[in-house]
Amino acid sequence: MGKVTYDAIVVGGGIAGCEAALNIANNDFNVLLIEKDLSVGGKMILLSKVFPTLDCSACITTPKISEMARHPNITIFTGSELQKVSKYGDNLFEVSIVKNPRYVNIEDCTGCQLCEQACPVTVPDQYQLDMVGRKAAYIPFSIANPRVAAIDIDNCTLCGACEKVCPTKCIDFTQEKEEWIIHVKTVILATGFNLFNPEMIPRYGFGLYKNVVTSMQMERQLAPTRPFHTVLRPGDGKVPDRIAYILCTGSRDASVGNTMCSQICCMYSIKQAQLLMGALPMADVTIYYIDIRAFGKGFNEFYEQALGMGVNFVKGKIGKISEKKNGDLVLRYEDVCSGKLQEAEHDMVVLSVGVVANQDAQKYFTDLTLKKDRHHFVQQVDPLLNPSKTSIEGVFVAGSVSGPMDIPDSILSAGAASVEAINHIIQFS
Amino acid sequence: MDTEKGNTVKLLKEKRKVSTEAKEKLKEFTRTKKAIMNALNGEDLTIAQLSEKLSLPYNEVVYYLMSLLKFGLVQVGEIDDMDEYFTYKVVK
Ligand SMILES: Cc1cc2nc3c(=O)[nH]c(=O)nc-3n(C[C@H](O)[C@H](O)[C@H](O)COP(=O)(O)OP(=O)(O)OC[C@H]3O[C@@H](n4cnc5c(N)ncnc54)[C@H](O)[C@@H]3O)c2cc1C
Ligand code: SF4
Repeated sequence: MGKVTYDAIVVGGGIAGCEAALNIANNDFNVLLIEKDLSVGGKMILLSKVFPTLDCSACITTPKISEMARHPNITIFTGSELQKVSKYGDNLFEVSIVKNPRYVNIEDCTGCQLCEQACPVTVPDQYQLDMVGRKAAYIPFSIANPRVAAIDIDNCTLCGACEKVCPTKCIDFTQEKEEWIIHVKTVILATGFNLFNPEMIPRYGFGLYKNVVTSMQMERQLAPTRPFHTVLRPGDGKVPDRIAYILCTGSRDASVGNTMCSQICCMYSIKQAQLLMGALPMADVTIYYIDIRAFGKGFNEFYEQALGMGVNFVKGKIGKISEKKNGDLVLRYEDVCSGKLQEAEHDMVVLSVGVVANQDAQKYFTDLTLKKDRHHFVQQVDPLLNPSKTSIEGVFVAGSVSGPMDIPDSILSAGAASVEAINHIIQFS
Repeated sequence: MDTEKGNTVKLLKEKRKVSTEAKEKLKEFTRTKKAIMNALNGEDLTIAQLSEKLSLPYNEVVYYLMSLLKFGLVQVGEIDDMDEYFTYKVVK
């Protein structure tokens, strides 16, 4: 068991956590960043391009993330989880962490992928939202950070093929869970958000109809590191011609317990529609919406750009999706403008799933109360004057852990959290 | 530990059993991979044709075929006249 002291701990290595860690480290404080996944980067590193500028997401994310990963004041634990945070003395927190074994020595792995080639096991690739397979010995994805292998021990058959071919002998099946106790002056929560599970709306047929996909699956299909060689229907490999988006899937909907607007899905759907028209110039893209919320700088122009490109916007409430024998999908909807029930056929339907709270952070604080808001996000106790402040002094929020946010807002929020964290460190040092 | 470097799997094998599920998944992938590679040996096929030959649902063919494409064992051939379905072939 390791026992160490840092100035700050940042929990979650998405874009908000990385930004917060960098800001604190650049001010000469040392930071421990905890990421539960095998790579830092969060959702942003898996996106195709970003609204409203259509910049390549990987191109913006990777320089920031590698600057963070190489920073001498930052230590990163990937594949790690917090167990508990409690007060330690007057001004410190004691944090217990479990670091899960990766079965690969990060320092020695060169990312040569020979282990991947040798591994005989193939299972669904979680970073491609299960649309394609990956090996049990694998590099999470090509721009992962750290870009080193890991062994998926639950699916590994312990054949040892990876170990035999590894030129640096970095595979180590003797690794075990490590428990760490860390003392820190401040905590930044940056655990981000979860995506709504569309199986909660059975009438949309997600899981049952293979050509009904989520927006994150479409995001992967549009990324340069896509699962397929082009955009294809997962149900039969057809190049889709008529693609529909259903906005507000799991948002603004009391029947699924989420009345909140997710803020990002109108814009990411409009972005994907434009990218689809670039990738498949002959395709028809229809967006079924309740309202288009294009509230940010340049957002309305982005919406108008989509209209100009020929994206079809239909103000309509979807009743039900059914599947034809050939995999095509029939959407039954109420056309809000005419008040009539209509039907339309599409090759593929993309569900613009909303943002729901990641409630992991609440579990860590057993003898302190981390308040949550009515949507279960971490509560900002002073949202107007000090938006990064939580109900626990010295614990701050960065990014979408406190509510839906796009990338620029997550970065701004991380900036605010890091300033507050630095003030706290100085005040109590 | 250093003496075991390169063969540490032996030590884990003494402590941990491989699940039946993992063994089954391995068998299933190996079987399907072999069937797809055999079917594509000699002729380029579409997903529909592979599905018929292998008696596998279309969506499963997509998953396995795209995995083989990713691993560099299969490549994309031509698209049909309607620009809808591709053929796939073995990488020689
Ligand atoms: C389909 C889609 C398309 C989008 N497109 C755009 C776009 O074009 N432009 C734009 O501005 N925004 C876009 N967004 C929004 C963007 O993804 C978010 O704004 C951004 O990811 C928020 O960053 P974050 O760091 O707050 O959270 P996240 O990206 O969710 O990162 C959170 C991190 O914390 C880690 N974590 C979670 N729980 C724990 C735990 N218990 N312990 C340790 N680590 C943990 C996660 O693994 C992750 O790495 C899109 C979102 C989606 C879903
Ligand atoms: S951002 Fe748009 S799609 Fe998302 S919940 Fe709000 S209105 Fe619906």
